[in-house]
Amino acid sequence: MAADASAPTLATRLRRPSAVGALGGLFVLALLAWLAVNAERTPADFLEVFLIGITTGCVYALVALGYTLVYGILELINFAHGDVFMLGGMFSITYATHFFGLHTGQGVLIIPIVFATLLLAMISCGLINAAIEFVAYRPLRGKPRLAPLITAIGMSFVIQDVGLIWKGPNYITAPDVFPRSKVFSIGGVDYTWNKLIVVVITIPVLLGLLYLVQRTRQGKAMRATAQDMDASAMMGINVNRTISFTFLIAGGLAGAAGLLYSLYVTTVRYDQGFQLGLIAFTAAVLGGVGNLPGAVLGAILIGLIQAFNEGLNWHAPGSDWTQSIVFSILILILVFRPEGLLGERTPEGG
Amino acid sequence: MSTNGRTPILQLTDVHTYYGAIHALKGISLEVYEGEIVTLLGANGAGKSTTLRSINGLNRPRQGSIRFEGRDITTVAAHQIVKRGIAQSPEGRRLFPRMTVVENLEMGAFQRNDRPGIREDMDRVFELFPRLQERRDQKAGTMSGGEQQMCAIGRALMARPKLLLLDEPSLGLAPIFVERIFEIIHQINEQGTSILLVEQNALMALDAAHRGYVLETGHIVLADDAKALKTNEQVRKTYLGET
Ligand SMILES: Nc1ncnc2c1ncn2[C@@H]1O[C@H](COP(=O)(O)OP(=O)(O)O)[C@@H](O)[C@H]1O
Ligand SMILES: [Mg+2]
Repeated sequence: MAADASAPTLATRLRRPSAVGALGGLFVLALLAWLAVNAERTPADFLEVFLIGITTGCVYALVALGYTLVYGILELINFAHGDVFMLGGMFSITYATHFFGLHTGQGVLIIPIVFATLLLAMISCGLINAAIEFVAYRPLRGKPRLAPLITAIGMSFVIQDVGLIWKGPNYITAPDVFPRSKVFSIGGVDYTWNKLIVVVITIPVLLGLLYLVQRTRQGKAMRATAQDMDASAMMGINVNRTISFTFLIAGGLAGAAGLLYSLYVTTVRYDQGFQLGLIAFTAAVLGGVGNLPGAVLGAILIGLIQAFNEGLNWHAPGSDWTQSIVFSILILILVFRPEGLLGERTPEGG
Repeated sequence: MSTNGRTPILQLTDVHTYYGAIHALKGISLEVYEGEIVTLLGANGAGKSTTLRSINGLNRPRQGSIRFEGRDITTVAAHQIVKRGIAQSPEGRRLFPRMTVVENLEMGAFQRNDRPGIREDMDRVFELFPRLQERRDQKAGTMSGGEQQMCAIGRALMARPKLLLLDEPSLGLAPIFVERIFEIIHQINEQGTSILLVEQNALMALDAAHRGYVLETGHIVLADDAKALKTNEQVRKTYLGET
């Protein structure tokens, strides 16, 4: 079946008129030239923007992985996923400030508080995501594709409303505890602690996920279920439990992203998951939906594109255009390279 | 029949199975005795695969009962069936296409944790199918139909089943592969595994089997020793292509 899936894409890639390829190549070249000019004119700004892009890319990666994990196993775009991320932000602020009394000026005490909050946010979002699957998607298993898809959009609204009722229509703020002092400087640019913290928390979470999927028995069950549910049941895999577990993990990643986002950006609002979710979904598609390393790559690229667009000085379209640019990318990939940058539609990461 | 006095390892009694409103099995009763090869013959759409799906829990009967080793398994969850000792090579083989041959075989032993035993069985599968050993690191989805069939049978054997269900193992294979598959079915049976074999290739199946059932639109219309079925007028006309 892998052969069936990849054969036509390969064939179409070979058959595709080279005019489109040339046009795409030209576009990428122009983009690189634009980046080069910017880097040349204001190297310090360029570097700074680059570092910001990597940081937001990390948050996007955690959310994008949730889309890709769920798509890999159910072929469902879980539209509610971005909203679970939003809830993760609200949980994080609530746990950190109400439970653990997090505030600025606590010194190293913030480290255990942030980790405890991270854990709780991951657990909360994981459980909520698994519950969503159980309530909203499982009863529709085996029904036409459109049914769970529409339900997912409905769940997205439900969760937004939960956020709205819980925290109200305005931004809620988190204490600004990630220090902005410099870790080191390169090329006259300070690399600040708040950015480093985001990366330092993201990387072990990503590595843990890769280990889980590629090396553990549960990961094996996930890979098998993603490839053939009936056959997996015949092997003795509890398919329902494996799907629940996948949603739990995806939700946990969204919870981690929610914590990082809320403490890095320091504001959360009920409708925030929708936009960030669509960006992360684009990242997942860019990398090749279903492909774990692809989701990370796509997320970093989207993070960089957004940062360059919003932060560079010379002929950057600016933040008003970010959404349009992200969706143009989404459309272009879906039309010209639906299998994404890393090709294969696999959850095991090719 | 040569089955007097023994209790069957598998026994279906008046099984009715549906797909939504479609009544696919209309009261199937059959037995497989320990050490037997039993074949289930019938035209396309007769209900052969549905019978296997009823046994393995993927399509639960609405009426009737299925017993395995004397215990009722009618409502046992699909993923528990293999632990009871029933494994299968399903219709369409259903390998994990993006896993290698070795990984597929390992999946067959997913519910086991006796590592030495698993290694032993892997060696045994490679002995039965040297071709699989050559392809051990190839992705299953990229292999030929015959190789995939071998892998599917091998994967089922990795569960070390007491009863092996085979759904059209010869479908779409070149004649040399077909003969090889039937040789192996014979060998597996000699090593002590009971087999329920679904086939459209009635001649080969009846040569291999001890007994057989003929299925027509969800009913069993004939049940007899394989030899008797081979000489049965109706069977010869319908399934052995005689006029
Ligand atoms: N997934 C399904 N949905 C609806 N009807 C089905 C499905 N699978 C099989 N059937 C019907 O059930 C009957 C038996 O099918 P099956 O057991 O596959 O036959 P066989 O294996 O003997 O060719 C047929 O009438 C077939 O159309
Ligand atoms: Mg069939």
